[in-house]
Amino acid sequence: MSLFLHLLNPHSRLDSPIHRLAARIKLAAALAIIAATLLCPPTAASFLLIPAGLLVMVAALSRIPPLFILRRLLLLEPLVLGVALLSLLQPNGGQIFVLLATRSTLCLLTMILLSNTTPFSALLGIMRACRIPALLITTLALLYRYLFVLAEEAERMTRARASRTFVPRHRRNWRTSASVASQLFIRATERAQRVYSAMCSRGWQ
Amino acid sequence: MTLSVSPELASPASAQPAIEVRKLSFHYSPTAAALRDISFAIAPGECVGLIGPNGAGKSTLLFHLNGLLPERPSNADGPVLISGQPLTPANLPAIRRQVGLLFQDPNDQLFCPTVFEDVAFGPQQLGLTAAQIAARVRSALAQVHLDGFESRAPHHLSTGEKRRVCLAGILACEPAILVLDEPTSNLDPRSRRELKALLQQIPTTKLIATHDLDLVAELCSRVLILNHGQLVAEGPTIPLLSNERLMLQHDLECPHVLRHLHPH
Amino acid sequence: MHIPDGLLNTRVAATTTALSAAGLAFALRHARLHLPPRRVPLLGLAAAFVFAAQMLNFPVAPGISGHLIGGVLAAALLGPSAAVIVISAVLIIQCFLFADGGLTALGANILNMALIGGVGGWSLYALLIRLRRDLFGRIFAAIAASWISTVLAAVACAGEVASSGKVSWMAIFPMLAGIHMLIGIGEGLITALVLLMIVKTHPDLLGLTLPTESTVASPARARLAPLLVFGLLISIGLALFVAPFACPWPDGLEKTAAILGLNHHEVKPLLAAPAPDYHPRIPGLTSAPLAIALAGAAGTMLVFAVSWLLAKALVPKVPVPATTA
Repeated sequence: MSLFLHLLNPHSRLDSPIHRLAARIKLAAALAIIAATLLCPPTAASFLLIPAGLLVMVAALSRIPPLFILRRLLLLEPLVLGVALLSLLQPNGGQIFVLLATRSTLCLLTMILLSNTTPFSALLGIMRACRIPALLITTLALLYRYLFVLAEEAERMTRARASRTFVPRHRRNWRTSASVASQLFIRATERAQRVYSAMCSRGWQ
Repeated sequence: MTLSVSPELASPASAQPAIEVRKLSFHYSPTAAALRDISFAIAPGECVGLIGPNGAGKSTLLFHLNGLLPERPSNADGPVLISGQPLTPANLPAIRRQVGLLFQDPNDQLFCPTVFEDVAFGPQQLGLTAAQIAARVRSALAQVHLDGFESRAPHHLSTGEKRRVCLAGILACEPAILVLDEPTSNLDPRSRRELKALLQQIPTTKLIATHDLDLVAELCSRVLILNHGQLVAEGPTIPLLSNERLMLQHDLECPHVLRHLHPH
Repeated sequence: MHIPDGLLNTRVAATTTALSAAGLAFALRHARLHLPPRRVPLLGLAAAFVFAAQMLNFPVAPGISGHLIGGVLAAALLGPSAAVIVISAVLIIQCFLFADGGLTALGANILNMALIGGVGGWSLYALLIRLRRDLFGRIFAAIAASWISTVLAAVACAGEVASSGKVSWMAIFPMLAGIHMLIGIGEGLITALVLLMIVKTHPDLLGLTLPTESTVASPARARLAPLLVFGLLISIGLALFVAPFACPWPDGLEKTAAILGLNHHEVKPLLAAPAPDYHPRIPGLTSAPLAIALAGAAGTMLVFAVSWLLAKALVPKVPVPATTA
């Protein structure tokens, strides 16, 4: 499970020309690429080569290991392909499928590059500047911060229970996972109380 | 290795105690008394240790010093006075500016996505300008020897680093009094040494609640012993901590540091 | 159920984004007005909990395991407005950090999972616990509500994708609805198990809803506002994206749909539909809406029956103190 967490954005603090760009620019560029990719009419499909080339260039400049990008892409592709395959059941399906798959993949690549070249706190800063309600920003910030803490706790609990499980049975696994989840929630509420105290101690009102 | 020997380390500059507690009692529930009739005073500049077994009420007492407890404070003058000011709802913001409380679990106190934002949290609440905030963050991080950590994410830090960031976050508010809850728990020997050296350098009034009796012997001039919610002993560090009978009576023991110096 | 970029056309993306933005904005405002300050960090921590809980494994077969979605669980523990914020936050982070769920589909994903799945499920839960207010009643309600809302969210998802014209309703609806009929049972079971274990140690936690969303001593208008607003948004979403496929529309609404650009009849499927308008063939019945209504009712009854049996199996026979509503 901690595999996921390490996949999160381990490269977001590398040093590269892309990383050094302001977050605003990267976000705007990502939005522009996604919009261009999705709005490109099917008849002018070859224009998709432009965003594709751009993304490959960005990937190269960002110094993110290409294997990492590929692995992330492959992790998410099945979902895209699965639904896209359904388009084959239509007349002209082949063309629709190829276009769909290409567009979705390009958008995926855009978001993967964005998340791995921009620290999340920078994205939060942009949201704050866009006057997104403070309650949502605080929730996102705390979610990001405590995600790892809770996931580590979950891992520890699962491991502790696994070391006392001698005969693995599906039903027992369900009860284990459910009890880990219930413990997680209780700990989350208790920690929320302590975080509140910590915030108040430093003057929060 | 330095030992605080003289009980008169406290600077006599101001006659007003930094912290004064008069007959403080607290109940979590009608049947369970957490604190009973606690009274003590700490002079400005003093470093005092608060020791006692688990469940004695140390954390509960600390939470009273910056108004986290009681949850619904009365408007009347309470049993706690900080620099002569009674703790009332009206005074709460001012008191919280003066008293910096370091929590036991740095994960509870380090709640922002980056180190900079977290250390900047306190100054932000104080209403400082961006430039002032940045200056405070820089100097606070320098004080705890974490220069350059501004953009780091908390989950990548070690426990010792997290604790130092929390300390920086408090120092950035420039409090007059530092109250620390188990500052050396879960630290490896090197981090513990670094933190101890840090605390020695900070001249503000300090109240340290801890199980680390060696730390108390090395840093504190005076000690308060809490057991079952009551203040059972108070006095200069070395004589009190060397009193084996007293220590064992309250589920404590003489620190190794003193046993080495005063073999019984 | 996270819709990636590219599957939704501009109009569907815009409509779903508008609906979910309205829902989220309302939830944020409602929470800002009624959430006591000490509960603010709880939203963030609860969101972290939902995210972490979604990563737990619930093995179904060798190599295949199920995962919690958590909509009804979050709503049962925190109330509808808080749940909308919490689930939306999880979806936003999944989109930006995981690329799980497209940026242009964020609106649709929030509509489906936070509003329809979360709040819709919670409404069902709140309705069903009126049958029996004890622990058994809550668990039964949790299973049935999770199950039904999971399927409903999947159906809405299918409707949105089909309305975008790239995949036909005939292809995507059976697949999504079918898979989620099974996923729904798992969701119901996991939700029930987690609630049971929380009740065992901390029964008071089952009542963390916002003051105006509890049934105790709050002005009727404040209590109704969230239900009305969310209910309206959910109904519009279902009306726009599901109803057109499920049953023939009166001409007026068809024209409105055409104006909005929602083309649900344009895509001609390769596979012949079992009936010109998709509805189950029931011998003796010629009215499509009635057939659909009966099929829906039968399915719902089946869900209730199975949920009842599952609850009986899960809830201990020893009487547990009844939690207050």
